[in-house]
Amino acid sequence: MKTSKFLITASLSLIMLLLALAPVMAESVGHGSFDKDKAITISFGIPVDEAWAKDPSNFDVYEKPDPDIKLAVDSVELDPRRIKATLQFKEPLNLAAEYMVDAKNIASDGKIVGTRQFSVKKSETQVLFGLLLGAMLISNFVFTKYLGLCIFFGVSQKKDTAIGMGITFTTVMVLSAIMCWALYTFVLQPFNLSFLRIIVFIGTVAIFVQAVDTMLRKVNPYLFKRLGVYLVLITTNCIILAVPLENADGSHGPIASFTYALGAGVGFAIALFLMACVREKLEVSRVPPVFQGLPIAFIVAGLFALAFLGFSGLAIF
Amino acid sequence: MDNLWTTALAGLIAFAAFGIICGLALAYAAQRFAVKVDPKIEAVRACLPGAN
Repeated sequence: MKTSKFLITASLSLIMLLLALAPVMAESVGHGSFDKDKAITISFGIPVDEAWAKDPSNFDVYEKPDPDIKLAVDSVELDPRRIKATLQFKEPLNLAAEYMVDAKNIASDGKIVGTRQFSVKKSETQVLFGLLLGAMLISNFVFTKYLGLCIFFGVSQKKDTAIGMGITFTTVMVLSAIMCWALYTFVLQPFNLSFLRIIVFIGTVAIFVQAVDTMLRKVNPYLFKRLGVYLVLITTNCIILAVPLENADGSHGPIASFTYALGAGVGFAIALFLMACVREKLEVSRVPPVFQGLPIAFIVAGLFALAFLGFSGLAIF
Repeated sequence: MDNLWTTALAGLIAFAAFGIICGLALAYAAQRFAVKVDPKIEAVRACLPGAN
C-alpha cells in the first residue's frame, strides 16, 4: 500500500516537473521547417522589427554536425504579421540533414530581446516515407541496382508464382531485417564485433528461410513445388543481405529498418510481377529464335530499368 | 589481451545462445509442420540409376 502511494506521488511529481520544464525547453530551441529545397521558415512567436529581419547577417545557418561552415543566406522575407520569417538560400539544401538557424540579437519593437536557436529537419514520418519510396521505386533494387537477379529471372515466368515469391520474399526480408537490427545493435556493436556482420546476417536470413521452407511445404505444397530451388536461394539473395547491411551502415532505428525492408520487399515483388506479366505475353508472341527464352527476358529487364529511371528525382515532400 | 578474451567470449556466448534458441524453434516448427512422405518413394528412387 505504501509503495503504491509512493509510486503515484513520484510519477505525479515527475509529470509536474516535465510540464514545468516543457515551456523552457520549447523556448531554448525553436523549430523551423523546410519550404521547398531552397528556403527555411522559422516562427519567432513575437512580432519582430522588419529592419532587423531583412538583414541576412543576423542569421547564422549551418548543418548541425559542422557549426563552422555557415550557409550564405540570400534574402529574408517577413510575413505581414511579422512573426514568421522565410530565409532564402542560393544553394539547394540537403533535405535529409538537420540544420541549425541562430537568430542573433532579435529586435522586437526597438528592443533587443536576445538570441534564439532553431533546429530544422524533416519530420520522422517524412523520413520514413522517403525511405519506403526510395527502396520501392526510386532506387528499386532490381531495376536500378541490379541485385537479386537470380530469383528475378528464375521465378518470373508465371504470375501466380511471382506473387507467391513476392509475398514470401517480403516476409523473410522484413523479419530478418528486424532481427538483424536487434543483433547488430545489442550484440555486434556493444562487443565491437561489427566485422562479423555479414556472416551473422546471412545466418539470420537462413534461419527465416528454413522456417518459411518448413511451413510452406505443409501450408501450400503447390507454391512450394513451383518455387523449387529458388525458395532456398533466398538465403543467398543479394537484396536480402544488402538491406540489413545498409540499415547497419545508415544506423537506421528499428522502425526505419522495418520500413526500408518493407520497401525493398514490395519493390522486389513489383519487379517480379511486372516481369511475369510481360513474360506470360512473350510465351505466345513470335520472338526471333536467337532471342527466345532468357535473352529476350534480359532485354525486357533492361527496358524496365530504363522506365524506372523515370522515378529518379521523385520527391513527394 | 584481456579485452580480446572478453570480446571473443561475449560473441561466442551470445551467438551460441541465439543459435540454440533458433535451432529449437526450427526443430519444433519441423515437427509441427511435418509432411508425411511415403517411404516407398525414396526406396524406389534409391533403386533407380538417378541419371536424370
